[in-house]
Amino acid sequence: MSRELATQLTPTTSMEAELPASASYTTVGGRPSRDLVPVLAKVRSRIAPLWPLQSFVAVNPFLGLADEPFEIAVQTLKRRTGANMLMTRDYYRKLHRAGRITEADLREALQASSEVFGGLASVDELLDKLAEPAPKPTGASFATIADLLDQAGTGQATRNVVEDVSKWCAAYWDDGQSAWRMPWRHLPFYEAWRSAASIDRTAEVMGFQGFREIVAELPSDPVETIAFVLDVLEVPDDVIEPYLHRALFTVKGWAAYARYLGWHAELEGEQDDTVTELLAVRLAWEYALFQLNPDAEFRAQWHDALWHMQSVVRDEPRDPGSVVDSILHRAFEAAYRRELLGGLQPPALPSIGKRKTLQAAFCIDVRSEVYRRALESVTPAVGTTGFAGFFGIPIEVVPLGQSGGVAQCPVLLKPKFLVKESLAGADDAEVTEVLGVRLLRRRAARAWKSFKSSAVSSFVYVETAGLAFAGKLVGDALGLTRPVTDPNTDGLPSEALPRIAPEIEVGALGPRATGLSTEARVDLAEGMLRAMSMTKGFARLVMLTGHGSTTVNNPHASSYHCGACGGNPGHTNARVGAAILNDPDVRAALRERGITIPHDTWFIGALHDTTTDEVTVYDYANVPESHQSHLEEVRQWLDQASVLARAERSQSLGIHGSNVDAQVIARSQDWSQVRPEWGLARNAAFIAAPRSRTAGLNLGGRVFLHDYDWRQDGQWNVLELILTAPVVVASWINLQYFGSAADPEAFGSGNKVLQNVVGTLGVLEGNGGDLRVGLPSQAVHDGRDLVHEPLRLQVVIEAPTDAIDMILDRHDNVRQLVDNGWLYLIALDDQGTARMRAAGLRGWAETGSPASA
Amino acid sequence: MEQATIVLIGFAPLALIAIGLVPSAVANRAARAMLGAAQIATLCAFGVMLVSAAVFFTTRTEAAWQAPWLGGVGVGATLYYDALSAVIGLLVSFVGVLVIRYSRHYLDGDPAQGRFVKWLCLTLAAVLTLTISGNLLQFTLAWVASSLCLHQLLVFYGDRRAARLAARKKFIASRLGDVSLIAAMTLVYQTFGSLDFQAVFEAADAVRETSMVPPQVHAIAMFLVVGAMLKSAQFPFHGWLTEVMETPTPVSALLHAGIINAGGFLILRWSDVVSLSIPALEMLAVVGGFTALFGSVVMLTQTSVKVSLAWSTIAQMGFMMLQCGLGAFSAAALHIVAHSLYKAHAFLSAGSVIDISRASWVARPHGKPHPGRLGFALAGAVGLTWLVSAAFGASLTRAPGVFALGAILVMGVTHLVANAIDERPSAFVILRGVGLAAAVAVAYFALQLSAESIMAGSLPEKQALRGPLDLTIVGLVIVLFGAVTVLQNTMPYRMSEPRWRALYVHLFNGLYVNALTNRLVARWWPVDETPNAHGARA
Repeated sequence: MSRELATQLTPTTSMEAELPASASYTTVGGRPSRDLVPVLAKVRSRIAPLWPLQSFVAVNPFLGLADEPFEIAVQTLKRRTGANMLMTRDYYRKLHRAGRITEADLREALQASSEVFGGLASVDELLDKLAEPAPKPTGASFATIADLLDQAGTGQATRNVVEDVSKWCAAYWDDGQSAWRMPWRHLPFYEAWRSAASIDRTAEVMGFQGFREIVAELPSDPVETIAFVLDVLEVPDDVIEPYLHRALFTVKGWAAYARYLGWHAELEGEQDDTVTELLAVRLAWEYALFQLNPDAEFRAQWHDALWHMQSVVRDEPRDPGSVVDSILHRAFEAAYRRELLGGLQPPALPSIGKRKTLQAAFCIDVRSEVYRRALESVTPAVGTTGFAGFFGIPIEVVPLGQSGGVAQCPVLLKPKFLVKESLAGADDAEVTEVLGVRLLRRRAARAWKSFKSSAVSSFVYVETAGLAFAGKLVGDALGLTRPVTDPNTDGLPSEALPRIAPEIEVGALGPRATGLSTEARVDLAEGMLRAMSMTKGFARLVMLTGHGSTTVNNPHASSYHCGACGGNPGHTNARVGAAILNDPDVRAALRERGITIPHDTWFIGALHDTTTDEVTVYDYANVPESHQSHLEEVRQWLDQASVLARAERSQSLGIHGSNVDAQVIARSQDWSQVRPEWGLARNAAFIAAPRSRTAGLNLGGRVFLHDYDWRQDGQWNVLELILTAPVVVASWINLQYFGSAADPEAFGSGNKVLQNVVGTLGVLEGNGGDLRVGLPSQAVHDGRDLVHEPLRLQVVIEAPTDAIDMILDRHDNVRQLVDNGWLYLIALDDQGTARMRAAGLRGWAETGSPASA
Repeated sequence: MEQATIVLIGFAPLALIAIGLVPSAVANRAARAMLGAAQIATLCAFGVMLVSAAVFFTTRTEAAWQAPWLGGVGVGATLYYDALSAVIGLLVSFVGVLVIRYSRHYLDGDPAQGRFVKWLCLTLAAVLTLTISGNLLQFTLAWVASSLCLHQLLVFYGDRRAARLAARKKFIASRLGDVSLIAAMTLVYQTFGSLDFQAVFEAADAVRETSMVPPQVHAIAMFLVVGAMLKSAQFPFHGWLTEVMETPTPVSALLHAGIINAGGFLILRWSDVVSLSIPALEMLAVVGGFTALFGSVVMLTQTSVKVSLAWSTIAQMGFMMLQCGLGAFSAAALHIVAHSLYKAHAFLSAGSVIDISRASWVARPHGKPHPGRLGFALAGAVGLTWLVSAAFGASLTRAPGVFALGAILVMGVTHLVANAIDERPSAFVILRGVGLAAAVAVAYFALQLSAESIMAGSLPEKQALRGPLDLTIVGLVIVLFGAVTVLQNTMPYRMSEPRWRALYVHLFNGLYVNALTNRLVARWWPVDETPNAHGARA
């Protein structure tokens, strides 16, 4: 049965078929070597970057596969690495039994899949498949030397190789754990590794006799090494790319970190070879293992393996089980889309209601949806709107006393302005004094830390300071104290804390200019307001609300912060935004550009704490007398909304009893809490439309809500912005959760209770192995069931399809996401019709109804 | 009062055992109830230990309470409760309360949370029993039980091959330790005709009166030392400790703050006997001293937080053994308690390392610090230490062990002051550093003297110089620890020399002991790829 289904599905193009042409022979350094540069670039791009834990932003783990249709990428990845991008058959069966997937959904999925697979099977066949037991998982078709040795022996080879490579990656990239650091960190990675490997006896002790001599035989250049090893292993041209991908995937965590290190160079169009250096190390091991197993039998096995790989490249055999699963998966997504679109409100006429007291802009983050709904339910005097949480202000923020800052903008952008923190209302002398105190405290703390962690003094430290930890343990266990000081306030006098504020006046920090000029402010202000579709009807108070989370003892803390602010809390962007919009010069210039902000409108910056659902309003002191009473009222509404939002979220957190608020807040201070909040789990859709479309709907905290009114968007600039920035970021988040849920081994970072932070940059699970990517299992799973349902993002935009098509034509990367089915794009029109852009084909079809064919 | 307290003490482990007897399947279904019960049981155990310690220390008329429960003729279950039991019992039950509380949210939702609590309770019960055992047979049973129960926690995620491998290495080391302890027990029975602590310790005191130590006593002491070394991860049996990251963090906390101390506890409990054998003490000093230096230097090279902490534990246990070997038993007891509290916190807060690194933003050193800073710091530290020690009426030269340990204090303080005098000397930082250093010295002497007075009657007096080998060991300790201090303070500036680079690589790999152990285990007792019936029952 499955065979029949599989044979009906004709293959489409894939990278494997295209590449051989690019691999030709040239001569490098007098030695025959292949021109591997294009292949290496391709292999490098296969690995998605991994941000360090200090700013752990979401990344689409399938970034390097986006040029293939999703369903084909499922097959490619499976063949090459054995990793899964889909759920098990049991998962879909349960959904079908529970009635969440209907026959209509199956039919729709089958039809849509035919466009990808080019064939068709009947719904009955699909139902039969659902009833069958899950097919046995198949492994990868491509193999490394280490894989081959594992198949023949005890399964130690790959493990040992990964252990060794990972060990040296950690030593090389360690960002602050070790005091005695690797002495070759100034060299490129491959050279550093060769230097270390020429001394390291581990391989020999493990039984790889002569390992050091073998490594010494290799060229000193990484690309030459790769070429040399490929020659020795006699890897055929057409197998090179999948073979290298396979090899790199065994150390994909460190490869991902290497890709991150080169990310900014790549954004600027430069080439970064860090990943290639790592690949050369991995191939050096391949070479060593090959040389250490010279027996004819093994060599014959390797030749068989190569022959097999070549046939796989040629035939691209599909795993029939996952073909069925990808159709079932599509049906699941169709089911969700049916529910989502069915609930949307009809288009509303622009209402000319009473002027609101408060307009509150929140980040599009799905967690805002719950709070916005709660706030709107408190009083009709509040309207809410959604926008990317950095409010279009790409800044680098320098904390008080420091010389470098952190980028508070999406990682796809580079910060354009430098904003330093300062003390509100303080003169230069006072600022200098506070800075001085902070610096000195830090240096004293450093001396103490060195006393604690140095070789001999640590014994004295334990005997003198150890007993004091009895009290600390009790305080931390009861949530009364924080396990370590908060890095954001560490070393600052407590009376200065409430006065810390971003400084937007033009100034300097060393050689760099800080602050924002008036022209820059006006441009930012106009861009922000137009992109929010907020150009008229301003309320008395407009609140720009960033978001952040409060967690302790949580290495993945930054993954709960605002992704649009580069994995940081977004209050600084919100405060800068509010300050700009309150600037009279800016308002005057905006009037000339056609946006009139009434004199009695005041902007405030705020922060929504997604763990506790509390909203903190900043810069009270600047609020004019005339607005104080409104602000008081607003504060009460915010508190009421916080209670409502906590009550709603507490259900998914398994909180019972009467003191819900206290329990929710306690989670944010609990050092043993592995699920302080659910983050963006369950995210499934993105809606860019006026709020009236979703007003009053309970979207379950699953939807990114972006306010957008296409009628105000004459040149389609805002549409272009939405499609190229927030949609892409939301899709990255969506696919990060998708990967972490679908294959936690390959795309998740494992069990939090076993995680071990390495190099203060990432986590290992358990004793060692490769660096882990993605989210911990606790972020998507409650221990019994998956909480995050892996669903590709449904992007719903109220805009004419022609305009959308025009934007997609301009932006290949977004078009790829849509046409290759990495997300669904649905356009709403004024009649309330929803049309979906069909994957693989140009054209739009009403969703839920049969396609035009 | 005394009898009532003794009965109470016996109940502390019993309540935990009762929870541990719940079958895993039931426990998993009723995880919440298990947690509630365990929380009550650990709090009760802690309460009992607190009350008993209070009663004991306020009414202390004799060195130890002894009460027979079962059996007789020197074999059976007996309670032996003295200052050492009181302190360690309090420590273990305190850590027990913490890890149970921590596990409630940490393992929330894990389908096997009930089973986890069950084995945590049993492990705690075994360690608590160990601390109050009054008979070597009972002690040995508790010793073996603690490691078998811990094994169940080490393979809690039994489907993980790495977990099974690490547990197997620990299993082998533990069984070797068991053999050593059983050999000691057999010899004790042959030599003293009893396994009863009180009887044996009294007999040992009688031996001390005579000038001749019989060879059996040396053998007993040696077996005890070997058993302790295996339990407390001393070189070359340290490998397993750096690999037990395959178990949830609270187990690491319990292991590093409770179980690992059992080796040191064994030496302290039997210090009346061990201190009779100068070769055994010297072995402790040599192995402990080497492990302390080895562990603490390897720690400097490690790149992950939990593995660094494990190396730190190895070093701290080595230092504690060195203190025992130098005859500073009360200092060793203090070290056990202080280290346990510190390390429990370090493991439970291991997730905060990112916060710490974000707070550590002071620019890295530029250029070389003042060449004379080590000299200044040393002069200051010696002066400071001398002043404070004189103020406490403590003399560093009273006993050689104390002298060596005092020298190490000076080095620690030197390091602290030297680091305060960094690249841009500032009066504030130096003063703060000196202030901290003075506080360290005061705390050090105050705590040492308190420990000595608390442990009086439980542990032997400080030892006087016993021979030329002793002197050599003391000299070596001072020279080597001093060398490492100097090395570390000058390290960043001379690490480009080839021999230092080579040393870095060898130390980074822990001198390959672990790689070798892995290979030997893979060869002689390989771990299956897929979990077997005994490994994983989730």
